[in-house]
Amino acid sequence: MSPITTWEGAEAYFVFADSPALIWLSLLGSVAACVYTIVKMASHEAHCAKAHK
Amino acid sequence: MDETTDLAARVDALEQALATVNTLNTEIFYWWCTALMLAIHAGFLAYEMGASRAKNALASGIKNLLAFAFLIPGFYYVGWWIYNAFPAGIVPGDAAAALPWSTAMGPNLADSASGIFYAAFTLFGATTASIMSGSVIERIRMSAFTILAVLLGSVVWVLGAAWGWHPAGWLTARWGLHDIGAAGCVHTVAGLFTLGVLINLGPRVGRYNADGSVNEIPGHNMPMSLIGLMLIVMGFFGFLGGCIIYTADGWLTIYNTPVTLSAFAFNTLMGIAGGMIGCYIMTRDPFWMMSGALVGVISAAPGLDVYYPPLAFLISFLGGILAPKVNAILVTRFKIDDAVGAVAVHGWTGIYGLVMCGIFAAGYPNIEGPEISFAGQLASAAVFAALGFVPGYAVSYVLKVFGLLRVPAAVELAGLDKVEIPAKAYPEAAVPAFDLSPLSPAE
Repeated sequence: MSPITTWEGAEAYFVFADSPALIWLSLLGSVAACVYTIVKMASHEAHCAKAHK
Repeated sequence: MDETTDLAARVDALEQALATVNTLNTEIFYWWCTALMLAIHAGFLAYEMGASRAKNALASGIKNLLAFAFLIPGFYYVGWWIYNAFPAGIVPGDAAAALPWSTAMGPNLADSASGIFYAAFTLFGATTASIMSGSVIERIRMSAFTILAVLLGSVVWVLGAAWGWHPAGWLTARWGLHDIGAAGCVHTVAGLFTLGVLINLGPRVGRYNADGSVNEIPGHNMPMSLIGLMLIVMGFFGFLGGCIIYTADGWLTIYNTPVTLSAFAFNTLMGIAGGMIGCYIMTRDPFWMMSGALVGVISAAPGLDVYYPPLAFLISFLGGILAPKVNAILVTRFKIDDAVGAVAVHGWTGIYGLVMCGIFAAGYPNIEGPEISFAGQLASAAVFAALGFVPGYAVSYVLKVFGLLRVPAAVELAGLDKVEIPAKAYPEAAVPAFDLSPLSPAE
């Protein structure tokens, strides 16, 4: 997964730095995790309110 | 000839070493400013849990934690790009390096600035979102709050920062805005955003009687709130430090005018003191005294670099007198149930501080744009107020229409902790702290 083979002259060296597809996949995955959590949060609130009745 | 060559090589080496030291100093400075800003969030956590009734203490705390946690990725996705792309207005400029898929937005040996500035700005954003947090306690849905916090902290305030807290921001370039401590883009925007949300959210059950009179709803732990507020004040030294640009030639304000840390030290401390004393004389209430420290910082924030310290004290003292009055008007006349007074402390005081800077700092030159003026400060304050209020009102209105903004009344009455949180704040609260029966000799 390393985008570099030497530290000499290295610039962007993070994992996936040489793979735009994997950068996008990670980025969209993290956005999806956030959105999913907010949806689950709303669902939890609705469920708890219903159970409280 | 050899000596000359050797000397040139040494000079080159020294210059390279100096450049490295400057780079490291920049990173170190903003690293510790960011760390210090975390105290603001520890403070908001304690302050808002204390300001809640015991039945809502954990829910209020979780709300704070969620805002902080969601702000970090939220600001990574859009916030840093907005700051860099929108100084000219609403048409984005070229800021490709700040987009989240840029190679500058991750570990990169050729870029030692992006990450550290992203971090500092993220904490500014989290602070902005936390300003709203206390006002809406005890009845807002956490999911709605999280959406609103991300919107405020990752998008709205930083658009204001691009416009008025940026060397090339159009409010400065065209109107001469001076607001080095971010009273406008952080405090005014957050306070007015909060007002928009509160209008749609409505007051807590029991806050108002049928005849319109107001019932006090005290929090369950005033000492915790006071400590929290002091932590926020401490964190503001990180916040204000992050407002200054470190360069090889010395300190600059966000507008590239020269400044010293001494200037900030004088006026920040005098501002805190003025606000605390002003609020004390108006209320005698320790909660407002500590809120007064924030009022004082915000009142003096726009002109921290140029005020004579006793003037900063007086501006903040008057700010401390006015903020509780404004809050009382909002609560009694307009029936805005702001649980911690954030609209007055941040929204109103931000506007007040900007206007005071227009009165007392008028005529100071800017690097970009016209000199500081009363009209420029007033018009910029109006822009920040509208920028905060409109999205806060609009998005909370949509959430309200879909029934997503507020918890049901039955849940509010029972307490959010009991209904939604799988933990107890005070599990032994029903156990007597001591037994009043006579002690046996052995005890």
